[in-house]
Amino acid sequence: MPEHLGRTLSAMADAGIDALILGRDGNARFVSGADRLSLTGTRAFAPGCVVVRSTGKVHLMSTTDDGIPADIAHEQLYDMSWNPMTIAGNVAAIPGLADARTIGVDGMTPMMETILGGVLPGAELVDGETFLREVRRPKSAGDLDGIRNAVAVAEACLATVVAAVAPGITERELLGKFEARMGQLGVTTPAFEAATCVAGTTPRAIVTDRALRTGDLVHLRGGVLVEGWEGVLARTRAVDGATGPQGAAGERASAALGEAVAACRPGEVIAELRARPEVTALEGVGLGHEELADDDALRAADVVYVEVFVDQVLLGDVVHVTDAGPEILTTSPLDVA
Amino acid sequence: MTLTFDSTLDLERMRRERHARLVASMHEDGIDALLLLGQGNIAYATGLRVPASDQNLAIHRRPVALVTVDGAAPHVWTWYPEGLPAELPADHAHDGLRLEFADGARTLASFVTDVCPAGTLAVDELTMPLHAAFAGRALMDPSVCLGRAKLQKTSDELECIRRAQRINEVAIEDVKAMVRPGVRGTELTGRLLERIFELGASANTVDPIWQAMPASIADGPFTMTGDIIFPLVTTPRPFEQGDVIWVDNGISYQGYQSDYGHTWIVGGEPDAVKKDQCARYRAVIRAVVDAMRPGVTARDLTRIAKGVEAGKRTPWLKHFYLAHGTGTESAEAPFVGTDLGDEFDETQVLAPGNVLVLEPVIWDDGQSGFRAEDIVAVTEDGAEMLSSLTYEDYS
Repeated sequence: MPEHLGRTLSAMADAGIDALILGRDGNARFVSGADRLSLTGTRAFAPGCVVVRSTGKVHLMSTTDDGIPADIAHEQLYDMSWNPMTIAGNVAAIPGLADARTIGVDGMTPMMETILGGVLPGAELVDGETFLREVRRPKSAGDLDGIRNAVAVAEACLATVVAAVAPGITERELLGKFEARMGQLGVTTPAFEAATCVAGTTPRAIVTDRALRTGDLVHLRGGVLVEGWEGVLARTRAVDGATGPQGAAGERASAALGEAVAACRPGEVIAELRARPEVTALEGVGLGHEELADDDALRAADVVYVEVFVDQVLLGDVVHVTDAGPEILTTSPLDVA
Repeated sequence: MTLTFDSTLDLERMRRERHARLVASMHEDGIDALLLLGQGNIAYATGLRVPASDQNLAIHRRPVALVTVDGAAPHVWTWYPEGLPAELPADHAHDGLRLEFADGARTLASFVTDVCPAGTLAVDELTMPLHAAFAGRALMDPSVCLGRAKLQKTSDELECIRRAQRINEVAIEDVKAMVRPGVRGTELTGRLLERIFELGASANTVDPIWQAMPASIADGPFTMTGDIIFPLVTTPRPFEQGDVIWVDNGISYQGYQSDYGHTWIVGGEPDAVKKDQCARYRAVIRAVVDAMRPGVTARDLTRIAKGVEAGKRTPWLKHFYLAHGTGTESAEAPFVGTDLGDEFDETQVLAPGNVLVLEPVIWDDGQSGFRAEDIVAVTEDGAEMLSSLTYEDYS
């Protein structure tokens, strides 16, 4: 049995959860390993993946086995439908689900709650997202390989953007360079659309038609998903060579990133790390973005994205938290020029 | 260079008119407050822009909107303030919330309760902590309310769809020029994404599809439905001479979706069979578009499409549809020819401003098939094409 599913089933037993009904891609990929068509943005909850503890099996809504790991038999696939009642019926027919008393779900809609309540009477729906967040959190050696690979792809894409930084090119054209390189490297799924934005008082995430000018600083923040794993980084470049003050700002930002990374040790409280004045992001990295709670503390085997913003310079690295100290997985140079 | 358009588009008017439609629809259903967590719904209700991102990030950096039936400006919570519409009052713009945790969920629930203490509250979707924070309060499903408002597009909405589609079509010209044996679908994706952003797209919304189709269903991957399997995720597999590639991609412009479909032959010209398949596709499109006008039902359209291909297989994919609507969601109502069945289709009556993406499929098992997509708006007395390809002789 794949390691992630085994870990999930064992945690379900500990938590008294009999089944999971999942709508989110990251959760479904974690328990099943399935590679399904990626759509951007939020989607309302729909039961796309089911885990039953009593049988130890994972079931997926799919019309084919393409992208579905070989250990998932055809009997474990159920058909899609435009009729939510039909989907609910297909789900309810999954062996063992009718006996489940406590079912974890990773989201809900008022309509789906009514429908699921009808086909699975007596089952209590509990928070499966919080449950799975904990299960997904520690990264195995294999998980780390996936993240390292994704970070390398993101860095290669960003290097292409860095090389294209010049007066006259627009923010949206730089974004295009990132994605073109990604495709050349055989990857088609950005983690988010790269934020290649001229620096201002706060970092922006939506590109504009603005053309770069000599003397600008430009933020280059990009991420990719490779086989589901996320790689992300942020760098800042001066257009047409850094001025003295820009170079100095770059050095201050680089030092601040170093300090923020050094603080990423087991036991450090997330809210306190986020409260550092220069820190703009401290988030989990895994099968895409993974959320960390403010009141939680870092643990060994966490992988996090740490980002700082100092004097208009934005820098971010992926860091593996270990008992021996932080291991930086990003290797791209930090300088602004 | 971004693509320029001569046509008129007034985004502020579009937002105002959509909000008015939504409020009217809330009145009709007796909804006092409408809480929205779905990105497409929020884009519709408020005009908020957020950067496109993979679902894992999108759910954790989701915006929220609260629309009230009194017609006041909506409240908006976002992580990306640069995407707020200019006219939104400053005290209606709020910082993004972490709705997967109890604190963020309680903050939102308590705000909503202050605004709407006892009236009818509708919510499109819930995180589980938000579900807990609303425990004990009846929550209505707003699907009908949202669908009613979105169904008939304003002139500005139609213009957004037209522009999204135009950007997509222009971008694809460069991609099509790359197609030859040995090229990989992933490379085409890279070029397409580069080009759409150069041309002014707001976002890419689906992992682009360039699927090599088998000659017959039995040659393809396992199928649950016994039907053609489409779409499949793009891989780095190199194209081969003679591959029949079904193309499907979608980008957005100001929140509105395009939907591009076509069939390409790698390294060669279509033979007589393939040209015939293309001609039959065009015949289905022609017949359906000719029939489209207010008052016609979805059932009428499926009957007409089947009539053109009489005696042959149903000319669309069994697990999809003959047509779907589009707007701030890539597939939204009206749906035509789904497994909801003929009786449902009978109740779907076309009205001015409806938009349909027609995606008939012509398949001759053993000879592969032709699939493309045409976007059509219903007008006061007929239909208007929003996409501009004619596919004449497979072009």
